[in-house]
Amino acid sequence: MNCTSARDLFPELLDRRAAGSTHPEARAHLATCLECQRDFSALNQTLTALDTMPTPAPTPRLRQNFYAMLEEEKHSAASVRTASTHVHRTRRFALATWILSPLAGCALLALGFIAGTWTTAPASVNTSGDATQRELASMREQITQQNAQLGKMTQLVGYQLLQHQQGPTNDRLREVLASANTAQPDDKVLDNLISALAFDPSSNVRLRALEALYAHADRPVVRSGVLASLPREQNPLVQIELIDFVAAARNREAAPVLEKMAKNTAIDRSVRDAARRALAQL
Amino acid sequence: MLAVRDGELDALGELFERHHGPLFGFLVKFTGQRTAAEDIAQTVFQRMLKYRHTYRDDGSFAAWMYHLARRCAADHFRKANAAPFATDPADLTHHAEDAPHAGDRAATRDDHALLHTALARLDRDDREVLLLARFQELSFAEISGILECSVGAAKVRAHRALHELRTIYLKLQQQRPA
Repeated sequence: MNCTSARDLFPELLDRRAAGSTHPEARAHLATCLECQRDFSALNQTLTALDTMPTPAPTPRLRQNFYAMLEEEKHSAASVRTASTHVHRTRRFALATWILSPLAGCALLALGFIAGTWTTAPASVNTSGDATQRELASMREQITQQNAQLGKMTQLVGYQLLQHQQGPTNDRLREVLASANTAQPDDKVLDNLISALAFDPSSNVRLRALEALYAHADRPVVRSGVLASLPREQNPLVQIELIDFVAAARNREAAPVLEKMAKNTAIDRSVRDAARRALAQL
Repeated sequence: MLAVRDGELDALGELFERHHGPLFGFLVKFTGQRTAAEDIAQTVFQRMLKYRHTYRDDGSFAAWMYHLARRCAADHFRKANAAPFATDPADLTHHAEDAPHAGDRAATRDDHALLHTALARLDRDDREVLLLARFQELSFAEISGILECSVGAAKVRAHRALHELRTIYLKLQQQRPA
């Protein structure tokens, strides 16, 4: 064995975990070569100094902060379970509204029609043409009124739905947290999370949605949803988290978008740096 | 960690007690700052909780922990580069304690101070691989997973880092006044 080959094995000879009998050829060379002995000795001296370097202990603050954080997370997990129950109830109510509102509208229309039929005098066989025309005009008027009522009801239902979508941030955040807590989310739950990530006006809600999607990063619908959100996101904090997500998910389809972001001087510098790092990882 | 992933959050307390010491030791040597090391260690455990659903039972917990620590440390260095430099009071105490003393302990303390300086002058990637390989009882297979490179590349990097540290350390020893 020559000096180069022996020196390549020095790290393994210096490894504390390696057995003393490993690489006998390198050890034999070391026993006879003065140059290698000097090199080995210098490395050994450096490592010995490194091993004897004192390692300071952390302050009690680290332990205190850790257990405070753990408690907070436990409470948060419990509150999410409660919120989940609340959201399920709200969803049941919303479902009932969806089904019952059109039915109620139809029922009102039918009731109006029947009432109109009863209140109108029965047509005589011998009625004149003018009477028939008046009857028809009256019926048309009733139908118009019923239609107007139905239109008002439809508007009311639409308004309620819009209010539901534009509810307070806290409610939306709670819904996202509840979705995140779902053990086996179906496509509908994932769709909701991706929609929240793409369209919710609150960056907190978007961040929590992204966090919830981490657990399902291997699903194609999630990967493409997050990738689609990346170019439209404006908040640097969320942009960095999105970049971290596509890098962690090894989504190579994100490379063109990341390259564009890395070159775009109009966006935040830390976002550009994050895009560069992610490109290196991909 | 599997229990933590399945909702038994108290199990993280056991993991904290077992691993926070070595993790903190690694981070102190890696960053050269006690306060920063504590903050990063705190963030690592915070991320364990946050991303517990992503934990997969395909490697050791320590490897996963150091993978998180590496990312947290990268965030720390990025912020530190962006922010104006601030001296950590804890480090001032540390340096004052490490100043040469009279007597036999002086040489040892001097050596430690020199090694601190040599480690700090080492390239960050070299410092990282050297500390992981020497102190954290991780195999090169685990280190290669953490550094996202091949086992061979991890060994070569550790070897190169050790040589570089030795060169800097010897140079500092020669510059030391007699």
